[in-house]
Formats: sequence, C-alpha cells, structure tokens
Amino acid sequence: MSSHYEAPIREPLVLGDKSYHDISVDVGAPVLGKANKYWWIVFSIALVAFLWGLGCIVYTVSTGIGVWGLNKTIGWAWDITNFVWWVGIGHAGTLISAVLLLFRQKWRMAINRSAEAMTIFAVVQAGLFPIIHMGRPWLAYWVLPIPNQFGSLWVNFNSPLLWDVFAISTYLSVSLVFWWTGLLPDFAMIRDRTSSPFQKKIYGILSFGWSGRAKDWQRFEEVSLVLAGLATPLVLSVHTIVSFDFATSVVPGWHSTIFPPYFVAGAIFSGFAMVQTLLIVMRKVSNLEDYITVTHIEYMNKVILLTGGIVTVAYLTEYFIGWYSGVPYENYTYLSFGAATGPYWWAFWALIICNLIVPLSLWVKKWRRNIKWTFFVALVVNIGMWFERFDIIVVNLSKDRLPSSWAMFTPTFVDIGIFIGTIGFFFVLFLLYARTFPVIAQAEVKTILKSSGAKYKAMRETGGQMSGSTRDSRTSSIYKEFDVMARTPVSNSSVSEGRSGFGDDTIEHEPTVNADALIDNEAKKDQIDQMLVRVGRFDPATQTADDLKKISGVGPIMEQNLHQMGIYTYDQVSKLTKKEYDLLDDIINSFSGRAERDDWAGQAKKLKK
Amino acid sequence: MSSNKKYWRSVEELKENSSIVETLKQNEFVEEIPTDEFLGDKETLEGSATSRRDFLKYVGFSTAAATLAACEGPVNKSIPYVVAPERITVGKAEYYATTMADGFDFASILVKTREGRPIKIENNDMGNNVGNTNARVHASVLTLYDSERLQGPKIKGKSASWEQLDEELLTRLNSLNGKQIVLLTPTFASPSTAKLIASFSSAYPNVRQVVYDTVSESAALDAFESKYGTRALPDYDMTEAEMIVSIGADFLGDWHGGGIDSSYAKSRLPKNGKMSRHVQFESNMTLSGANADKRVMMTPKQQKQAVSAMHSLIMGGNSTGLSDKLDEAVRNAATQLRKAGTKGVFVTGVQDPNAQMLALAINERLGSTIMNVQNPKLIRQGSAQEVLQLVEDMNSGNVGALLMAGVNPAYSLPNAAEFKKGIEKVDLTVSFTMKEDETAILCEYLAPTPHYLESWDDVEIKRGTVCLMQPTIRPIFNTRQFQDNLLIWTGINSSYYEFLKSNWDNSSKSFNQALQDGIVETGATTSNAGTEEMQSSMKAAGGMTVASAAAALSAQDEIASNGSFELTLYSSTGMGDGRQANNPWLQEMPDPITRTSWDNYLTMSKADADALEIENEHVSNGALNGNYVNVTVDGSTIKNIPVFIQPGQAKGTVGLALGYGKKEAVQKEMQVGVNAYPFYKNFNTVQTVTIENADNGWHEFACVQLQNTMAGRGDDIIKETTLEIFNTKNRSDWNPVGQVDYNHSEIEVRNPKADIWESFDTSVGPFFNLSIDLNACTGCGACVIACHSENNVPVVGKQEVRNFRDMHWLRIDRYYSSADTFEQEIKDLEELPLMDSYSVVEEQSYDNPEIAFQPVMCQHCNHAPCETVCPVAAIGHGRQGQNQMTYNRCVGTRYCANNCPYKVRRFNWFLYNENDEFPYNMSNDLGRMVLNPDVTVRSRGVMEKCSFCIQLTQKTILDAKREGRAIVDGEFHTACSNACNKGALTFGDLNIPDSEISQLKDNDRKYYLLEDIGTKPNVFYHVKVKNTAEA
Repeated sequence: MSSHYEAPIREPLVLGDKSYHDISVDVGAPVLGKANKYWWIVFSIALVAFLWGLGCIVYTVSTGIGVWGLNKTIGWAWDITNFVWWVGIGHAGTLISAVLLLFRQKWRMAINRSAEAMTIFAVVQAGLFPIIHMGRPWLAYWVLPIPNQFGSLWVNFNSPLLWDVFAISTYLSVSLVFWWTGLLPDFAMIRDRTSSPFQKKIYGILSFGWSGRAKDWQRFEEVSLVLAGLATPLVLSVHTIVSFDFATSVVPGWHSTIFPPYFVAGAIFSGFAMVQTLLIVMRKVSNLEDYITVTHIEYMNKVILLTGGIVTVAYLTEYFIGWYSGVPYENYTYLSFGAATGPYWWAFWALIICNLIVPLSLWVKKWRRNIKWTFFVALVVNIGMWFERFDIIVVNLSKDRLPSSWAMFTPTFVDIGIFIGTIGFFFVLFLLYARTFPVIAQAEVKTILKSSGAKYKAMRETGGQMSGSTRDSRTSSIYKEFDVMARTPVSNSSVSEGRSGFGDDTIEHEPTVNADALIDNEAKKDQIDQMLVRVGRFDPATQTADDLKKISGVGPIMEQNLHQMGIYTYDQVSKLTKKEYDLLDDIINSFSGRAERDDWAGQAKKLKK
Repeated sequence: MSSNKKYWRSVEELKENSSIVETLKQNEFVEEIPTDEFLGDKETLEGSATSRRDFLKYVGFSTAAATLAACEGPVNKSIPYVVAPERITVGKAEYYATTMADGFDFASILVKTREGRPIKIENNDMGNNVGNTNARVHASVLTLYDSERLQGPKIKGKSASWEQLDEELLTRLNSLNGKQIVLLTPTFASPSTAKLIASFSSAYPNVRQVVYDTVSESAALDAFESKYGTRALPDYDMTEAEMIVSIGADFLGDWHGGGIDSSYAKSRLPKNGKMSRHVQFESNMTLSGANADKRVMMTPKQQKQAVSAMHSLIMGGNSTGLSDKLDEAVRNAATQLRKAGTKGVFVTGVQDPNAQMLALAINERLGSTIMNVQNPKLIRQGSAQEVLQLVEDMNSGNVGALLMAGVNPAYSLPNAAEFKKGIEKVDLTVSFTMKEDETAILCEYLAPTPHYLESWDDVEIKRGTVCLMQPTIRPIFNTRQFQDNLLIWTGINSSYYEFLKSNWDNSSKSFNQALQDGIVETGATTSNAGTEEMQSSMKAAGGMTVASAAAALSAQDEIASNGSFELTLYSSTGMGDGRQANNPWLQEMPDPITRTSWDNYLTMSKADADALEIENEHVSNGALNGNYVNVTVDGSTIKNIPVFIQPGQAKGTVGLALGYGKKEAVQKEMQVGVNAYPFYKNFNTVQTVTIENADNGWHEFACVQLQNTMAGRGDDIIKETTLEIFNTKNRSDWNPVGQVDYNHSEIEVRNPKADIWESFDTSVGPFFNLSIDLNACTGCGACVIACHSENNVPVVGKQEVRNFRDMHWLRIDRYYSSADTFEQEIKDLEELPLMDSYSVVEEQSYDNPEIAFQPVMCQHCNHAPCETVCPVAAIGHGRQGQNQMTYNRCVGTRYCANNCPYKVRRFNWFLYNENDEFPYNMSNDLGRMVLNPDVTVRSRGVMEKCSFCIQLTQKTILDAKREGRAIVDGEFHTACSNACNKGALTFGDLNIPDSEISQLKDNDRKYYLLEDIGTKPNVFYHVKVKNTAEA
C-alpha cells in the first residue's frame, strides 16, 4: 500500500520528519519507559472507581436487585441503559478497523489500535450488565445453549436477549482476534526493542513468534482482510440485534421498525465520540500529535456529523410518526410531545440538546478542527447517547399502556456506583493498555509513511528525489551528525520527558555505525550508541582508523564487525570493559567471551603506546 | 441322622503327624505371607502401578470429594406424625364450616386446613353468604398465627397458671361486697353465650353486661328498637332492588356490619333490560359512592336535611329546604324511589336515631321488599349510652369488677383517658384477650382467649340464621375461651362445647349436620305485628315516633361552622375497627379508593387543601408525599395527621379512618397511622373540627397506584356504557372491537386473519377462562387477600410499597375520570389541541369524578408477550390456557415484566421469607404456618405472577380422574373467583359444553383488556353498564 499514489492535496497523515525508526521509537516509548505521575493519578482514580463499582456489584448480587431503583413497572433502567451505551461505544473500533480497512482509508491506521482496544474494553463493560442485572446472576450460564447435563435446559431462541448473547460474544471474539492480529508485528517490535528479559519473553509470547519475514507479512495481510470481511457485518449486526431487544417487544416506543439502522448509526455516533474523547487526551499525553493529527480528528468529526445526522433524522421520524399515527399511546413515547412536557422533560431535552443541537456545530470547519471544541462535543455526545438509551428504556416504560401502572424511576447509589464502576474499569483497562501495548499500529503507519508522511510529501512537493530516500540517515553521510551525548537512552525515557532530542534531524544514530548489518534490534542499537558514548566515537574527519587486526584474537571479519559497531581505534578498544564485552558477546555471535579472555583492552593499551 | 462322613482337604491330612496339618490348624496360610517383602521392598514399591504420588492423589481426591459431598444445602428436618391422626391425610386439604365473629366482622365461612393447620378462609356457600366475607375475614386466618398473641394467663403482669387464676378470681368475685360486676363485651350475637351470661348473672349478684361495639350503630339500633322492639338492624337483600338511594351510608363497606354488597352486585347486572339504579349522597368518597350511578357530594349537615327532605317528599310533601342543585338531586331520587315502590330502598348513615327512624319509615312507606325487618341482623347490639355510663360509673367507684372480653376500650374509646382513670377505681379487672393490648396492660388478670378458629360458639347473625363456630386447630397457646371461664366461675361443670351442644334444640338438623353445614335456619322471626302498639309503649318509655323524629331532625340546630370542617370518621376496608392491626396482609392491602396502604390520613377536598396551602406531591421516583395538619375536636387535638387530597370529597368536609395508630401488641412496622378514636366523641362519626396546617414537612404515603386517570384510554381499558344505550343500540356501538388493516380493508382484531401467530390447540382437556364482570365488582378487595393467602404472596412493607414494588398478583385498579365522566375524558383527548399539555386527561378531576374499578391479574394471553422474550424459556404456555411461570428456571432478566402490557408480573427484588429485613409472617415460625404447602415460596431474583391457581385446578382434575368421572361445570375455581361473593369473578372450563364461563364469553358485554395488541387473553371483562336514567 505504501506505493499508492497520494494526491498532494491530501494533508499528510504523519507529521514531522519521521523515519521508520522514529515511528518505532515513538510507539515503543510508552511501553518501554516508565509511567509518569499523571498516569498514576488517573490510574488510581480509575482503580478506586472500579473497586467501588465492584463493591456495589457484590452488594447487589448478595442482597438482591432491590438495591437498585427499579420497580414493578420499570424493570430495566440504568442497567440496560449502560449496557446499550457501552455496546454502542464499542462500535467505532470495528468500524474503523474493518470497514475503513476495506475502504482503504489510510487515516484509520493511526487510530484503529486504540479504537479497537476501546471497543473490546467497552464490550467487556457492556457484557457485565446483562449478567448482573439478572435476579440470579449465578445462573447466568443458563442463557447458553449447553447440553442439559450441565444443569441447564435448552434456551428460548425466540428471545432477543438470547440473540444478544450470541451477538455480543461473537462481536467480542472477532474484535479480539482482529485486534490481536494487528498487534503481532507491533508486539514483535517491542520484543525486539526492549532490554528487559522479562518484557522480551512476554512480548515474544504475545507476538506469536513474529519473525518479520515476507511470508509473515503476506499471511498477516490476508488474515486482516478476511477478518475485516467477517467483522464488517458485525458492525451492523450487533447493534441491530441489541435494538431487537426493544423493537420486537410490545412496549409503545420500543416497538419500532426504525430501530435497527437508527441504533447502528447511534452506536457509531457514540463510538466515535468516545474515540475522540480518549485519543485527544492520549495524543497529548503520549506525544502522538504527529500521528493522531488534527486531520484525523476532523475525519472523525465528519463521521460523527454523518451518523449524528442519521440519528437526527431518526428522531424526527419517530416524533412525526408517533404524532401522525394518532394513537394515544404514541403520545407518551420517548420522542413525543408527552415526553417533552412530561415528568421526564429534562431527559428528553438532554437528548435533543446533546445529540441534535450541539453536534451541529461541527458543520463549521474551524470548530471541526478545534481540538478543545471537539473534545467538548465528544463529551456531550457521549452524555447525549447515554440519555438516548435512558429515554428509550425508562421514559417508554414509565408510561406504558395501563396508566394504573405508570411509575417513575430514581437511581440509588448502587445504580450510580455500578455505572461509575464500569467507567473506572474501562479506564483501568485502557490505561494499562496504554502502557503495555503499542498504542499505534506502527507497522501499518510505516506502510503509509512514504505516501502520507509529511516529510516525504514535502520532498515530493519540492521535487525531491524519492528513490534515494530509502537510505537510512544513520548510514548516509548526507545527514549531519548529532551529538549522542544529548540523548537520553530510550529505554529510560518516560512518556513526557527526555524526548527533546527526538523528532528532528539530529536524532539519527552515529553515522560511523552500521549496526544494521549485524542486528535489527532497535534496543541493541541504542546500547551500541551508549557504548560509543563511553568509549568515544570515531570521527573520520580528524582520526584515522587503527589496524585492529593487530590485537590478538581479532581477525579480518571481527575487525569488520567492530567497525560496523563503530569501533575503529585502539583508544576505543582500550576503554572496553566487562559491560562492553558482554554487549559484543551479545551482538557478534562467534565472539563468546573471547575479548575478555584475550584482554583486548590491555592489548590495545599497549598498542596505543 | 447325623453323618459320619469326613471330608478331607488334601492328602496331607492322611499323613499322621503332618506338620502342615498341624500348622494349618493354627494359621490361615501354610506359609507366612511375605508382607515385608512387598511392603518394605523399595523396588517392588516403585514397580507397582500405584505410586506414592498416586496414592496421595487418591487420598486427596477422595477427601475432597467426601467434603464436597458433605457440603450439601442445610438439611430441613420434617417431623412425621408419630401417631397419625385418623382423619388427616397428609397432602389433602380438609374443609370445616365455621363462623367468624370477632365483634366487628361476622361471616359464615369454610376453613381450609392442611395437616391440621388452617390456611385459608373461603365463603360458605351453604348459607347464601351470611355475613360479610370481606377482605378482613379472609385475612383473619393470619391473625391466628399472630406472634404478638398472649400465650398464657397472667396475674399482675406475671405468668400464672389457670388454676391460680381461677382460685384467686373466684375468691375475689365473691368478696365484692355487692358492688357491680360488669361484663364489657362486644356483640356476641350468640344465643348460648347469652344464656351463659344469664346464668352467670344469677350466680353472682349485681352482674351487668355492657355491649360495646367499637364502631357503634347505636343510632340505627335505637331507631329499630323503638320501631320494632328488637335491638337489631334491618337486613337488606338488594338482589331485586330497582332503586337504591343512600344518604351517607357506605352500605358496600361496613355500614350496619356490611354484608349487603353481594346482593347489591346482583342487582347491578343488566337483565332483561333492567338493572338497579343507585344514587349516593355522601361527603367522603366511599366504595358505595364509587359504585353509584350518580354520586352527589353532600356535607353531613346537608345529609341530615336531605334525610328529612327525602322523608317529606316520600310522604307526599313538597319542600326540601336544600339548595338548588341538591334539591333537584334529592327530588329526582325521591321520584325514582316512589316509582320503584316496593323495589326501592332508602338507607342512611346519618348517626342520628331520628334520621334512622325516618329511613325505616320511608322504606315502610315504600313497602320496600328489600328491607327485611322480620329477620334483622343481630351483629350489632351495643349501646353507646351504656358504655358512656359505664365509664362514669367506673369513675364514681360503683364498679367492683370489670370483666372485658374481646374489647379494647383503652384504645378505642373516645374518652379513653377517662376510662383509664376509671379502671384504677375498679377493684377487680380481668381482660379476656388475645393480646396484651392497651386495655389488657391496665388489667390485673389476663385470661388469654383463643382465636375464633380455635373456639366453639354459635352466632345468630340474622334472626333465624344460626351459624356454628368450631375449632379447626388445637389451641396454639395456653388459652381458654371466655365462655369456658364463665362456666367455671359459674360452677357449671362442663366445657363450653358441651354447654353449646346441650342447648341444641333444633329439630331440623342434628348438631353434627349443623356443624358440617356451619349454618342452620331456625325459622325464628322478629314479630313486627302491632308496631303501633309497640310504638306507643316505646314513646311512653322515652322512645320516639316517626313524627317526633321528623320534627327533631328538621329542627336540627345550625352548627356554627366558621372555618371549621365536618369530619366523617369511617372504618377502612382494610383495617375495619383496627382489631386486626397486626395483620400484615391487611396493612399492605391498598385501600380500594385511595390505593394507599400502611396508613390512614385525612381525606380532604382539593379546594380546602389549596386554601390551607396543603399539597400532595410526587417525589422523584413518583411516590406520593403529603403535608401534615393538626386537627382539633372540642379542644382535643391530634397533631400531624397527613392529608390525602381526595377527589370527590365534599368541600368543607374531611374524612379519617378509624383503626390505625395502635401501639400495644402491634409489631413496630405495623404501628402506622394515627388513632382517630379520640375524635369519635359520643360515638358519632361526624364531628366538627378545626384544621391548621402543621407546616412541618412531608408525610410519606405508600400508594400502589400513582396515576389516577386512564388518560383518555377508556375504550381500551374500562369500557363503559349506559343502560339506555345498552338496551337500544347494537353491540358494535357500545362494545366495538378494534379494527386492523388486512389487504386494504378493515377487519376485526378477533378475526383469525388478523393473527400472525399459530394458535394453540385448546380442544384437549380443560381450557380455562376467567370472566370479570365490572358491573358486579365493587372493589372490596376480598379477592386480593384471598390471592395473597392462597398463593403465599409476600408482604413487602411500607417502604417497598412506596418504592412501587408491591407483590400483589391480583390488583384492583381504580381510575378517576379527568373530566366529569370517562366519556368526556376520551373526547377531551381526541379534541386536544396540538401542542397542548396532556395534563388535561392525566390530571383527575377533583370535583366529583367518575370512578371505576378493574381487577387485573395475569391475563394468561394465548399470544403472550412475556413468553417469547424469556431467554431461558422460564415461561411456558399451558395446554389448559395458562401462561405458566417456572420459578426454578427463571434467572430474573425482568424482560417479561417490561413486555407485559398489563404489568401483572411481580419480581422478587429481595428475599422476602426468613429475612429479618422483612419481618412479616413469612419470617417467623408462627406466621409461616399459614403458608399454602401446595404453592412454592418464591426465592429472590425470580419473577412471579398469577397462575390461575393451577394447584386448585389440578386438584379438581385429579380428583375427578381418581373418581373416574367427568368434571361438571362449577367445579373449577381460583382463589379470587372463590372469594368473590358478588359473582364478579367467574372461572371455568370452556370445553365443558354450556358452562357458565362459555355463556359469559358469548355475552355481548364481553371485551378484552387492551385487545388491539393481539395478546388474546384468557381473561375477559364485561362492559360496565351504568343506569343513568334521571327520571
């Protein structure tokens, strides 16, 4: 895909003069570095919320659903509202990863990883509610069609709730597989860059032994396409089926043929809003502004605008048809005059303002590209979509057919606690993900670097030579050197600090080093850089190379290896210590403790004199 | 013959002195078993298949398995009968006829017992529903298992034995120095008890019996006594009534002891184009007013005038002295009454002997066959005057001994404080009581009495109808009947049962037959011949005549009513006079009118509430809150009475239910409401009161229904028409069936083409339907309690009702019209301008709205919305028409409840049994004895609902099967259809040819609730017809 022609009019998707290595470094940084204070603060808050929610769940399960605010008329309220809300949020991930992949939308590459992660974490939250909302959640497995010997009986395939079970579990598993597949090359990248043996082992397992061979890539692409093909119908099916919970019922306001498409649009609407909410924060915190650009944000805003528009049309249709039907029951549905003026007027207007009015501002390009405003709109849409589900469930149930049963609903602290708990759980998962997973699909971003990277686009723009640009700056003399002393070792850098040396021309590796011939491990290259800091670097302009073959144990091949690592002089060799020997052992396979046995440093000291 | 054969084991034995034979004598094996070898040898051990690790695994596994196997649920031990009673078959219900008589409620009943425990009350059909089998009677079985009951005799607060009590009391009764012995009792209406008291009176000097009816009917009794010479109340059989006029008499409630409603309901069914017309003049909204064809609001003062006006109009006069509107209404009623003649009846609840006298006169003039004075009711005999006199006597120290049986004057007397003062001056105080109530704690001797289900008695509910009371369980506690005590102290050496039996002189039935029937018609009548003679003699004795009554009533003083209200006290449907205050079923039973449980409250008109700045408001979850007022009568004030704004309450009047606010021997949770008896001055239910806003926050009501109108949906919910339209128009005009579009043409929803589902085969076996006639239903709530009792429905308590989580499987919806009538409400909705608020149809009319009741239980839909949505198939469709809930299978998603258009499914939000959070009958050992063993007690987390009492229908089917016969019509019952003595609920099998239910189903009045949804219910309703003819 990297060879695709890209019109100059398109804005670059990768900003900054990023090289392939930079992408690796940038994406690997949060995983390899240490968490900063803010991460810990946010994580702690999320964890507390999660634990609080967990406590509320335990209380509910041990005492009874009565600790919620439900009553004999309103059998579902916050539980299913939250369920549908979370499922809806889970929609953006698959849309981005599957549908946009099939449509060859390159801008998906910077955001799909996090969007998919968000999807999975959101579906986990969503899946929680149908289980805990049961009166006897310990029998939740009865909804699975398992043979009777397991204490269950056969299930009722007429029930939309059962369809949910299949829809959600299919969706979760396909999403998970799809996400994991995309992660393989990136996990491998982390595996190769980490200096920690523990991490190396873990990421080695996670990457399923990814070797980076052409065959790997070919299979990778094939599987991605197949999964995208499988996942695309799920984007439509999951929320369609969730909407059947309502659409197939006889409750006025639920029983509506418009629900399936309208729910899907609403889900994508809220899903993208949640992606915006998360990524706007993450791009800042993880220094990913070059990858998740204003252009990305604008694209997502356009999707929000489109799906928001669909939702608006659905609202208007519901309202109009309800009124036009002349059926008195329709005057009380969640989109009706009765709802607008009834006891739930505030929920009705919250829905209209959040989902219909505020997103209209995105028609203005300036606001669409305004990150703060986008963030605000995304939050509002999230709130609005929560209210939409609340309205559908509670408002419709509250004034059902027999007025004698009309009732109102007030949440208890448990209702609220569980909702907050899921938000906490979601963020716990997301924050852990942000620190342990490559948050950008770097392998994929690399494929579009040439076509959509700012550097290359600029090069094309200025008529620069693209054919030579595959040359690595580290080996090419056209790039000026930089002082390695200015760099903080990558593996020690944290997310927000120590990155000052990156992002410009000076971050390239030592030009006299050609370690690529020896290794492709980025972490090792960094170690070589550090070693050269200690032993001194060779400057061909002022120095001449010594004949290292004079050192006992160094042959012509070894000399070449040393040169590739940037070691040219006796002076450098004389400064080698145990640490450097180990590194040499590590990199040059045939070496195995020889330098130490032969005491190259001692020999070099003598030769130097 | 013994054998000399010798068997040898081997040739070795043939050898002499063989060492092997010698060894074998001692040992089992010839050679030693090489145990050491295989146990001690390492190689062998290692070579064996069972390694040490394997061995440990087996040990570990078997230990774990044994442990797990031991971890079963707690073992519930049931104790079998050591000596099985001859007549009890375990699992088979026994029915006994008996009689409830607790001084307030009287009814001939059947008691269902299981394994020796009474568990349910049924109507006794033998006796043509003698008495009033109302909700309280149905609930009284739970009072038997009341854990607050007094469990043994006490002397001065200390437990004692009966011998001690007898000994001390005999001594003290005989050493009273001629002072009075007063027996303060409720109306027993028992011939045997009367006889016994007579012999007690002859055994001791100076014995006086004072009959104290907590809620007095003194005025009516006085009037009847002066007119007919018997202290009794006229009986009314309204079956044939054509015109019923009531001024202030809630005759469908507890007026005159109740019991009129079943005959009333029969008169309400349109038959041959005719039905009764009922006009009600009243101040409080009562059940009678709610059922009336025409209800006119009238203050108590106006009611007095109206009675006098009615009398003069009937007698041929022409003046009423009433204001225009009321004048017209009263005139019309009088005209219609005269027209109805002998089929007319006039009743009044005005607590004035003069008014009652006039009522008797009016009926006599009409020649009313509805009123029966030959067989009057004897269930109220108390005299307000005598009770008040007693309190005076006590205070003046004239009473030597006060023996109280089944009364609680310290709680229920208006002048309870004086009574309490007086009781200290009485030498000897004995309370025969079931509980250590307000009165009992003041008494020296406490003689615990059994519940009526543990007692013997005979009760003459009506003259000529004697009902027998027999025990249905061995006394649970160390109790003794009041009558047994009297027998002992009189020195008659027999039990009350023997005494009762010895008094049996009825020739028509043997005693055993009478016991089995529970009821005997003795044929005795009260002679009303020579009433003129009687009247003159009464007049001489300070009695009254009709003429004097009319004069006295019209000369009523004008009560100055500056800023004052007229309070009408009433006994509520659930609580009655309050003697069953500790019964959680009754506490949780919503009042039919206000739909409020666990409370009493001051009912007030909207206009008055506005003037006093009193509000009722709905809080965020919809529950109702109301302000408090302080109410003052004659200087005595009760503070903080919550106000319930009652539509249809006459302006300037307020209402308050008696029977609440009881504190002693009442569980904390049930000490609800305020005690209104202090207002019951001179036993008059009408009092002039002043009211001030207490300005101190909100009272929390527990209502089971919060929306009071049908919001213009009457055509789908409660169909109503007038008798005129019903008689003259086609069915499609007054009972149209919904239309749906089919192939571009309209078809009825009942048309099979409108059905997208396949129907179930209903032709095999029974197919049940339930018919609910809205004309016959008065909303009394007996079915609600019967359902509670039959189906082990849990009580959830006030807060949970407030959270809108009551568990009633059967509820009686009550709707007010938003306009003057329901018809107008539907029109209002149709003509509602665009963008106009729906409050026009949602807000009930506060003036004088039309009211309708509708019992709603699971409709057992043939196309049930609940069945399809359950993910675990916990709801199945029965072949007999039931929609069957499988509790075991339910995981509790509540989807079915959401999808139920009738909202009849009830979720177990918590564990309601054996849970201290819900300390009602299901959580104590005694209370659990009332549980029906045929019905599961549901656990938390499952959905439950009406089952069409499948345990009863299955029983009927199995009985018939065992007896090898066909089931005849009328055998199938549900708890509700059994409980309804008005015939409003009829249950039966459609597959029995010409069964009552199939006829009802073919009736033109049949319609289905919310039929347009297409649920095809197996419950159907009958259109309510009102007789609106004004002339």
